[in-house]
Amino acid sequence: MKIYGLFLISGLAVGSLYALGGIGLVVLRRATGFLNFAYGAIAAASAMFCWQVMAWGLPGPAAWIAAILTGVALSLLFGWFIAPGLAWREPVVKAVATLGFALIILGAVSFLWDDAARKLVLPTDKIGIRLLGVRVTMTRMIAFAASLAVVVGMVVYLEKTRVGLHMRALADNRDIAAMIGIPIVRIETIGWAISGGLAGFTGLMFGDLVRLDPTVITFMVIPAIAAAICGRLQSLPATLVGGLLIGVSEAMLTLVKPLAPLRAMAPFVIAALVILWMQRRQQLTFVTED
Amino acid sequence: MKLYQMSAIAASGWLYLGLTAGAMAAEPVCGLNNAEKASGEPILVGGINGNAPPGDFSGGTDAAAAYFACVNDNGGINGRPIEYLVENDQWNPELASQVATKLVKDHGVVALVGNGSVVSMAVNARLYVEENVMVMASACAISDCYENSNIVSTNQGPLPSGIGAMKYAIEELGTEHVACIGFNIPNNGGWACDWVAKYMESKGKKSSALLMDPASVDLNSVYLQALAEGVDSILLMLPAGPALGILQVAEEQDGRDTFKWISPTPLYDPSIPGTLGDYWDGHVFVNIELAPFDSSGNDNGNWVAVMDLYGQKGDRRDTFSQSGFLSAKFFVETLLTMDPDKIKRDSVTAAIKGISGLKSDLLCGPYYVGDFDRHMPNHAGRMVVYKGGRFEVVRACYDIESSYLDAIRQQERALNLID
Repeated sequence: MKIYGLFLISGLAVGSLYALGGIGLVVLRRATGFLNFAYGAIAAASAMFCWQVMAWGLPGPAAWIAAILTGVALSLLFGWFIAPGLAWREPVVKAVATLGFALIILGAVSFLWDDAARKLVLPTDKIGIRLLGVRVTMTRMIAFAASLAVVVGMVVYLEKTRVGLHMRALADNRDIAAMIGIPIVRIETIGWAISGGLAGFTGLMFGDLVRLDPTVITFMVIPAIAAAICGRLQSLPATLVGGLLIGVSEAMLTLVKPLAPLRAMAPFVIAALVILWMQRRQQLTFVTED
Repeated sequence: MKLYQMSAIAASGWLYLGLTAGAMAAEPVCGLNNAEKASGEPILVGGINGNAPPGDFSGGTDAAAAYFACVNDNGGINGRPIEYLVENDQWNPELASQVATKLVKDHGVVALVGNGSVVSMAVNARLYVEENVMVMASACAISDCYENSNIVSTNQGPLPSGIGAMKYAIEELGTEHVACIGFNIPNNGGWACDWVAKYMESKGKKSSALLMDPASVDLNSVYLQALAEGVDSILLMLPAGPALGILQVAEEQDGRDTFKWISPTPLYDPSIPGTLGDYWDGHVFVNIELAPFDSSGNDNGNWVAVMDLYGQKGDRRDTFSQSGFLSAKFFVETLLTMDPDKIKRDSVTAAIKGISGLKSDLLCGPYYVGDFDRHMPNHAGRMVVYKGGRFEVVRACYDIESSYLDAIRQQERALNLID
């Protein structure tokens, strides 16, 4: 039984990272209609810049802030200069545009930093507690707590604030929202900034807890999207649960020897099952303007 | 100046100096070494590397390019310069096929030297045989590279290096049961871990293969799986990045003393000591395929000198680079024995297949090619341990025992290299 506890804790730790990514995607999707495939690449660039700031000898807090600001800046870059031109296009066109942006960022990151071995270390890595036999570092606890806090915070923000109301109105119907005078550009900018900040934070956590590898961090967008699909690209709590479920499933599959080498497919399988379940209810999954 | 270059100077400059100081040579020695620029009809030679995410395998072609430039400044191939055409397949199978076709069919290169691409080797292995062109590779990591009549690599790859690490672990660290952690790629991690298992079985020891997807994020579970298997040692049959990720997880779990930590060559890289930190001091053992970067042998010193004078800023100085230098050196030595007017692909292929018994201080054994259906001339290595912020040799040259090498030993007997 103890062994299951080990893998449960391990899975929750990774799942909270997937959830963080998924939450950032859902927030942006709800505010702007974009499914941002560049989320992982933005996170990767943020993590690499954080490492660079530390390598320059600047204090840790400056590097952490730099990571988040890098995420915000890259996200706003797309949000200001590319997204407006695609505002009235189909969701799939928007998504493909973000995929292109992801490739540009990944190329730039590879150009700026070669693939020499690097490590991102946070002071919270040294602090930890034992839970079911697994040492859980403060960094992992921060990642888990942050995913919960962001869900709660964003739900409150969307439900209780005027900007949140505008975001929901935009997500429901962009045409009508524009007609009734909602400041679309400002609201979307806030959405891009929040999502970018979350991407920066996710990159920081990934770089520390998984590994500082731009490619690996870039492609963490896949399980993050799977988590977001579990939330139907709308529900933040369901996205959190989806991310944790994917993380735990992936970890538990390690115990099933024939499936252990294939456990990386867990996000796809779970996302596919969720889509099938939603199809069963005859509900359109990605369309918002019917 | 690129960010990584600035950081390399700031963070790793001391390390680089430390690594190369012992191997510093005054002037490079290349080819005819007559200080006369070659000016005849160029000899076209190709090279393919994979330099894009997820890895930079350009060290071999970089070093070969530097050595060829040095040769061209020193008489070339009896007066003829080498025109070295390097292509990057960007880890893209379609592109790998295109660039190989371009080099082999369109340009008609006489051979390929310094190749380092996992994708290209798998995709183009058949093309090289069909076109009767030899590849003197430098950065092979998959079975296709070692089981082909027209590819011979100077580096060992994961199989001999991994078994070499296990041999040391059994004899010196008391390993009884190892977890071989590798990528779930049949001709890479699966191939190498299978042969490690056979080796362990031959020694009456146990082995468990823990294979994971290259993009796997949950390294913690891989570590926990090793814990659940009850192994006493972990063999990191992985590239440096994921291997470091596993070590990071182990450090997080304070698992340094739970296992003996061993690895094939990828962890032997100039950037690793600055990354591992004090926690791992004296606990990470790595099998190295070529001589240490700071060794005092002539060829190693010449590698440093050639790279200093002819290398490009930002060229990697790793095992692949040493390997690329050596492949290029052996290639040039072979061409210098030929009539310069008769250097064509068929004659070059025959000459390369005729290579036997070449020696270098970078290698533990003789280098040879021969007309065989597979090639693995380099299968003896050294063992180092990470200590005091650097790598220290803990065992000098030693060979491995594996039934995989039965065919290779037969080749060596046929060439009178062993009894």
